[in-house]
Amino acid sequence: MSLLSICEWIQNTDLSTAIREGALYYPIIGGVHLLAIALFGGMLLAVDVRLLGWGMRRRAVSDVVGQLRAWKRFGFVVVVASGALLGWAEPLKLYHSKSFWIKMALLLMVGVHALVFRPTVYGNSTRLDEAPSMPAVAKLAAALSLILWAGLVLSGRLIAFDS
Amino acid sequence: MSVLPFLNWLGSSALANAMNGPEWAFPVVECFHFFGFALLIGTIAIVDLRLLGTGMRRQSPAELTQDLKPWTLSGLALMLTTGPAMFAADPRVYYFNPSFRFKIACLLVAILYHFTFLRRAVRPDVPPVLGKLAAVVSLALWIAVVGGGRMIAFV
Repeated sequence: MSLLSICEWIQNTDLSTAIREGALYYPIIGGVHLLAIALFGGMLLAVDVRLLGWGMRRRAVSDVVGQLRAWKRFGFVVVVASGALLGWAEPLKLYHSKSFWIKMALLLMVGVHALVFRPTVYGNSTRLDEAPSMPAVAKLAAALSLILWAGLVLSGRLIAFDS
Repeated sequence: MSVLPFLNWLGSSALANAMNGPEWAFPVVECFHFFGFALLIGTIAIVDLRLLGTGMRRQSPAELTQDLKPWTLSGLALMLTTGPAMFAADPRVYYFNPSFRFKIACLLVAILYHFTFLRRAVRPDVPPVLGKLAAVVSLALWIAVVGGGRMIAFV
């Protein structure tokens, strides 16, 4: 079974047709996707900005990382779930979209980023509080996180402009 | 005075030509618009959630407002430069779009509300129930702004 035939199968499901052809489902799910990016993307930015030392410097790293963790996770789930529904509506278009595959590659790298940096940075914030200066690995994690995030937004937006 | 001559002028300005020039111009500016409102709304949401008693509870709402102020303002600046550029790409269509009008109305109220009521609601002497109410209104206004913006393309 090829990927293309899976996409064709998805496209023919009732859910796919409903989101694609219903007047309100698509914009509402799109709105939730965008809102989650605004609310929780902003929290991700706050954490990375703290790690880079660009802001909130009076607050302990563990305060910022620890207190926003649950919200970032919640936001991630909402973004992925609403994004999956949007994708479910038009799998054939996405199959042929270069931007979509770039976006999926970036999403995969978000997973790698989490695996690589959780032990030393995000899951280790109390140690970062004690460090005399921010370790390079934490700054690297934050910079990569910002780049991945911006890349996901950009590639996602470009899907609509792929012909 | 009618607003139409202004819209026509804007629609044929150098800014409009740049936005309508290369295919990538509009979506790239739009992405910076997204970065701007993520900064703006995300940092406001951190304060709103704190007023609601969740999120960053080890800091006070006033401390968070102060900490995040440069980022909130940067987001606002980014949003208010990329937004008009997008508007310039097709002024007449946006001007008559009901979602656009709804969005701009909500945006004006949200900005005014933020710098008047919300700035006062984070003070330590404000009763918690009023702070919560202020936070709910703030979140609702920003949700309306984003929702209205998303609907522009669908009406």
